[in-house]
This record gives sequence, structure tokens and C-alpha cells, in this order.
Amino acid sequence: MTTRKKVILYTLFIIAPLLFIFASLFLGRYPLPLPLVIQVLVSKLGIAAYNLPDTYEALVWQIRLPRALLGALVGGCLAVSGAAFQGLFRNPLVSSGILGVSSGAGFGAALAIILFHSVTPATYIFAFAFGMVAVLLSYLIGRVYNTTPTVMLVLGGVIVSSVFSALISFAKYVADPYRELPAIVFWLMGSLANASYHDIAIAGIPMGIGIAGLMLIRWRINVLSMGDREAHTLGVNLAVDKGLVIICATLATAGAVCVSGVIGWVGLVIPHICRMLVGNDNRVLIPASLSLGACFLVLIDNIGRIITGSEMPLGILTALVGGPFFVWLLKRTRAGGW
Amino acid sequence: MNLLELDHAEFAYEHQPYPVFRNISFSMGPGEIFCLLGPNGCGKTTLLDCILGIHHTWQGKVLVAGHDSRQLRAGQMARYLAYVPQSHEKTFPYTVLDIVKMGRTVYTGRFSAPREEDEAIAREALDAVGLMRLADRPYTQISGGEGQLVMIARALAQKTPVIVMDEPTAHLDFKHEMVVLETMVRMVRDNGLSILMATHFPNHAFYFENKGLKVSVALMHEKEFLETGSPSQVLNEANINTLYGIEARLITCRIDEGNLIRQLVPIGARASVQGGIRR
Repeated sequence: MTTRKKVILYTLFIIAPLLFIFASLFLGRYPLPLPLVIQVLVSKLGIAAYNLPDTYEALVWQIRLPRALLGALVGGCLAVSGAAFQGLFRNPLVSSGILGVSSGAGFGAALAIILFHSVTPATYIFAFAFGMVAVLLSYLIGRVYNTTPTVMLVLGGVIVSSVFSALISFAKYVADPYRELPAIVFWLMGSLANASYHDIAIAGIPMGIGIAGLMLIRWRINVLSMGDREAHTLGVNLAVDKGLVIICATLATAGAVCVSGVIGWVGLVIPHICRMLVGNDNRVLIPASLSLGACFLVLIDNIGRIITGSEMPLGILTALVGGPFFVWLLKRTRAGGW
Repeated sequence: MNLLELDHAEFAYEHQPYPVFRNISFSMGPGEIFCLLGPNGCGKTTLLDCILGIHHTWQGKVLVAGHDSRQLRAGQMARYLAYVPQSHEKTFPYTVLDIVKMGRTVYTGRFSAPREEDEAIAREALDAVGLMRLADRPYTQISGGEGQLVMIARALAQKTPVIVMDEPTAHLDFKHEMVVLETMVRMVRDNGLSILMATHFPNHAFYFENKGLKVSVALMHEKEFLETGSPSQVLNEANINTLYGIEARLITCRIDEGNLIRQLVPIGARASVQGGIRR
């Protein structure tokens, strides 16, 4: 790839999500005109002062902006860890939840909702902690003689995922059907409705670490995708590099899931769309997934806010909108060399 | 110093009473080809794995450039030994050049990517196997023979003194078999590389010997080396019969002016030498 092409591509990766975030500021049940949104941003950033009604300020700055920012972060995290896991496990059918982080987090959230009778800050903490525990368990199950063969890791993930899924069902079964059960069900379907700067600040730490780590190690994922045997003879310390990829992808996903609930599809399909658009070299694929994942989730969240008066859960829309688009792209690019 | 030295090496899988191989001793210097010959399942690949540091629980001595192969980290090992696998499972459609660039992993930091000089080295390696024209093609769309050459280019890009090959011509047609063999001859003759290979074709050893290279053959039989030496010494009808239980003839034919090449021709799968067919 020429340097010029690289510069254009990376600029696009940065600008695209910013455009989607910006667009979501004036879209919604109460559309705002563009000048008004700009005035709010300008006065909030302290560049110039305008005398604006508090409602506009609250709508743009306190509701829509944090929601769009969080959506971008969550979408980017899910897509980027999906791409990393697909490379690590050498399997294009893998998504960010392969090692059980989503079902672990789901159970953590359900448990917290039952213990404290509604969605509280403890829900985030429990979700994050159980997501991490689930991956740790998968890793320990997959560990044989100091190595972690791919098949064993995947099996570990499958086992842990189904155990936690069963535990989620059990939690739903024992939950109070009028208050706790709906809260659990809605949490599991995923939503960005309660986004706040506080969420971004807290969950942004694991998400940021995860993204940064995967961005740094991204070329090594190419080598890891050659399989353990070849990666070893090419000079890769398998324990360290595999461990780093798993830790970073898990931090990113757990951070995303604990604030947004379980949002499927993004971690599987966005990396694939990027493979068709920019190829399979993880050096470009990882930033592309990050960028497109962010755009996609902000877009989906906007659609959810616009088409229904009440909040449409994100997990439903990602599949309903993403599915047909993916089919169209598959046909269009003839699957890009698969 | 020997690039590779094994002394009474022995290996058994954990919880298995019998060793896969035992009493294996040989050494290899620069510019040599060492062929491991033996029937399926005799332990050739396992022996290569022990040398490459994939298995650690062997007994005896396995020295890579004077270092115990267990003590070498992957990043050090990959500076001495490059590996060309018997079969490579293709997962994602990386470009051919991307694959060859992975040979530069050991010279690339964990958190960085190959630099421009690495790309230049990768292109050079691709040129050496004659596949420059495929550089930007997805490697899932090239033929098996070309794929094997790409794996060799990747090993060349690794710039190691020794390349370990596991049946480098398995599944290849006549043409690509010759292309691979000729490439190997150039690697040894022009670049002074050493090659350790497991193979099923005794005639490859004759081919290398005929090209004037320093070749040793080890016959692996019942977990041990039956005999080690130059192809002309070791590859005879009796040894092939012991090794594979087949009847074979050693023939000589003239290929160029004054240039004779030996070839072993299999005749039939007989367990003993007392048939009427043998003279």
C-alpha cells in the first residue's frame, strides 16, 4: 500500500465516526437545526457564548453527545475484538463473545439486578467482573501442559458460555417477574439509553486499554493466524502474545458489554465487512474494524431512536439492519476472495 | 561449530511407555543437506519438532548452534532455524507478499510491523523462488506448488543459516517438484544455507549428490538410525528393502555428457529378498 493511500485511509477511519457522532446530535424525536447544534457545541467548548435555552443544551450536551460517544466506543470495541479473535482462532465464524465474556457479563448483570432489585451501578461492576471471570475460566480449561491449543480454548469458551447461559436462565426463573425480570431481559437486549459521561469515564478505561493494546499488537495477529506451530517457528512467544491478545480483546468487550448490555452481531459481521473492504492484513483490518464498528453502532442507535417512540433494544436492530446489508455486500464483492 | 548437533537424542510422549525415537546422533555444518528417510510414522516429523523446540521433553543432546534447544526462546530459535511445513492450512486470504513478510517476525518488535527494509528482503526472497509476479495475489488462489514456494520464500526471508523442511515436495506435480529441488540447490550452493529435510524420495538425495552438494542421508528404521552416510553409500537395494519392505533396483543412467545419475526404482512390495524377481 502506498503512503498516500495509507494517509487517506487512516484519515477516513478517524473522520467517519466523528461525522456519525456529529449527525446524531441533531437527529432524533426532536430534530434540531444544524446552526443550533453548532451554537451549543461552540458555547460548551467555551469558544463563544450564546444565550440558549437550557433544554437544547441538555438535549445536545447531556443526552445525545454522551450517548453517541458511548455508542461509538462500544461499537468499536466489539468489532475490534471480534476481528482480533477471528485472527487468533483462525476462524472467520468467531465473534467477540467466543470465550464467554458476553454470557458471563450477562449473568453478572442478572445477578446484580436480583440482589439489588433494579439496575444500579453494581450491575456494571458485576457484569464486568463476571465477564472477566468467564474468560479466565475458558483460558484455564483450554490450558494443557503450559500451552493453550486453539481447539481447547474454543471448547473452553463453548463450555463456559453454555454454563453461564444456563445460569442466566436460572436467574430469570427466580427473578421477581414484575420488576427484576423485565430489567434483566432489557439489559440483555442491549441499550445505550442511560449513557452518561460517568459511564464513559469508568468503562472507557478498560475499553481504551483494550483498543490501544490491540492496535499496538495488530501485526502480530497476522503471524498468530498462521497457527501455533508456524508462529512458534517464526519466532513468536505464543504464551505472551496469545495472552496479550486475549487480555486486550476481553478488556475491550467486557468494558463495552457492562455499560451497553449484550449487543450481538457487531463483533462478527463488522470485521467481515472490513475484510471485504480493506483486505485481511490486520495492520489495516484492526483500525478499519474499530472505525466501522463505531460508525455502525452510532447509526443503529440513531435509527432506533428515530423510528420508534420508545427505545428499540439495540441487539434487535443490529441484526435486522446489519443482516440485509451484509448479504448485499457479500453478493457485491463476491465475498472478497473467500 | 556445528549448526545442529544431536547426540543420543530420545523422545517419548508423556504417559507413553515407548519412545518415538531413540539413540539419534548426527551433526550438520554450513552448506550441507541432511535427508531423513524412513517410512510413514517412523518419527521423522517428531524428530524435527524436537529440534524446532516444539517438544521439550527429550533426553540426550539436541544442540542448535551450540545451544540446548530447550533453553532457546522462540525468538532466538527463529534466528537459527526456519521451518517449511509439510502442509500449510490457509485460513485468511492474505496476499503472497504479506505471507513472505511474516518471515521477518523475529526481527520485528512485538508492537510494530515490518519496516521498508523488511519488505525489500521479502521481495528479494520472493524473487529468489521466481514468484515476484504473484506478490499481490491472495495466497488462497495460487496452486499447491506455488504455495510451497511461497513457504520457502518465507523461510528465506527469515535469513537463518538452517532451513528445516518437512517433505518439501509432498503433493507436488513433476514440474513443481523439480522447481522446488532446483530452488533448494540454489539456496545451498549460492547462499551457503543448510537444509534439514524429511523426505519420502530417496532419489532426491541422489539428485542433490549429482549436483555436487554435500549430502548426508539418515535411514530411520524402528525408532533409530539404521545407517548414515552419503547417498551412494547408504541408498542401496538391501537398505531400501529393510526400510520399506519393498523390492527395488538401483539403476544408473546418463543424463548429460559423462554425467551419471543413480536412481532407485521400486519394483514390488515384497517383505523379503528371496523372491524370484531379484536376479
